[in-house]
Amino acid sequence: MGNLAVIEAILRDRKNFFGEIRDGIGLAPKMRAMLLSSIAFLALYGAVMGSTHSFWQALSSAVKLPLLFLATLVVCAPTLYFFNLIFGSNQSLGQNIALMLTAITVTAVVLLSFAPILVFFLLTTGQYQFFKLLNVGICAVAGLVGVMFLVQGMRIVAAGGKEGAGARANVVRLWILIYAFVGSQMAWTLRPFIGAPSMKFELFRQLGGNFYANVFASLGEILGFFTVR
Amino acid sequence: MNTPDRTRLDELLDLLADEVAVRLKAGGPADHGGQAPSPGPTGLPAAPSAGVAPADEPSLQPASLAPADEPLPPPVGPPHAARLMARLALLMLVLAILINIPFNRHGTTLATALPDSASLMIRNGLLVKEAGKPEIYVYQDGRFRWISSLDAFEHYGFKWDNVRIVEDGFLAEFEIGTPLHALLKCESSPHIFRAERGVKRWIIDIPTFEAEGHTWSDVRIVPCTYLREMPDGETIPPGHGPPPQP
Repeated sequence: MGNLAVIEAILRDRKNFFGEIRDGIGLAPKMRAMLLSSIAFLALYGAVMGSTHSFWQALSSAVKLPLLFLATLVVCAPTLYFFNLIFGSNQSLGQNIALMLTAITVTAVVLLSFAPILVFFLLTTGQYQFFKLLNVGICAVAGLVGVMFLVQGMRIVAAGGKEGAGARANVVRLWILIYAFVGSQMAWTLRPFIGAPSMKFELFRQLGGNFYANVFASLGEILGFFTVR
Repeated sequence: MNTPDRTRLDELLDLLADEVAVRLKAGGPADHGGQAPSPGPTGLPAAPSAGVAPADEPSLQPASLAPADEPLPPPVGPPHAARLMARLALLMLVLAILINIPFNRHGTTLATALPDSASLMIRNGLLVKEAGKPEIYVYQDGRFRWISSLDAFEHYGFKWDNVRIVEDGFLAEFEIGTPLHALLKCESSPHIFRAERGVKRWIIDIPTFEAEGHTWSDVRIVPCTYLREMPDGETIPPGHGPPPQP
């Protein structure tokens, strides 16, 4: 429960929370708490998501979903830090990572709050393409809420430094786009998370195609335009 | 609103104001004296800093003491969100375990209990069998092809684990292609037979072989004893007498 207190702080008292990140207060315990709670929540969501296929897929997705978010964070964190630095930010890398972890934690909280809905659809519909698109939609909403927190956090944490504030705001917006692209490609690389019913369990699937083409193909099949092969 | 009502309202407001004053007084700086420093405002342990008022200094906590033009501090409610998240996480963990527990001897779980065909991804190589029929079909290039024998099934490297049972009538929605046969031949015999529904059918000559659309890569070499033990079926084309034995 101790680590979950951070969620209370982020959701209820975010200005104070971001203020503490700005002042460097308790960064390490905050980051640890956010890391642990987001891993737990993402793992649970992943387990539910993979349950449509098999137990092993559930287990695999429970590991891969937290890995997806953390690997994306590791890949994207230097870009945000150095670009902020170039445009006059005085934030440390730790502060940047704490802000990104805040976004991931909020994303994880939103995903977990969607988990009962996912279980409902899992038990009442068997259409793979629909279930896949439902997950893409939920992840998109959760990610959007997460980056909204990131933008707000960046604004509060960078409130002190006026120099290059406008440029830094643009950097954050651009970074969010990069984060989305890297995240979707990372998800494609680490797939399957749900597991196609006609295929056996695989830890990783061979590379080929891309995330966006697959989403459009699934959409096409649901709407009856064509069959995914 | 009449006068007696307004009086009662005034009394109530007075009582409320008194209560607020008493509570503010009770929660003032004097009460914190001698206590250990509380955790950071976020509920996590926080290092001492300028942002946290020491115990012996006046606290700025009560919102009513802040200047009117400053924004009020965010309302901090009881810490039930974290508790709720913990309970939700626990519930989802239990659910994730429950829906993955097999409930019959085939290993079906609640999560995978829905009919497969509703969630099948139609792709090349998909193997299906309608629940009430013995035939197995493979999806190839836009149509389902019947696999005519066990030999054919093995010859093309299919695996039983990959066969999906679908409801009767599922295949009616799809185009059915030519059957997928295995052609059998043994080393010491020049004759080629087609395995079909557990019998061997002799292909009488090369023109027939080609006319049936077969290729030499379809031919599987098997032991002659195996071929001899297999019952004879009608020749291809029919009506060419008893087939030669391999």
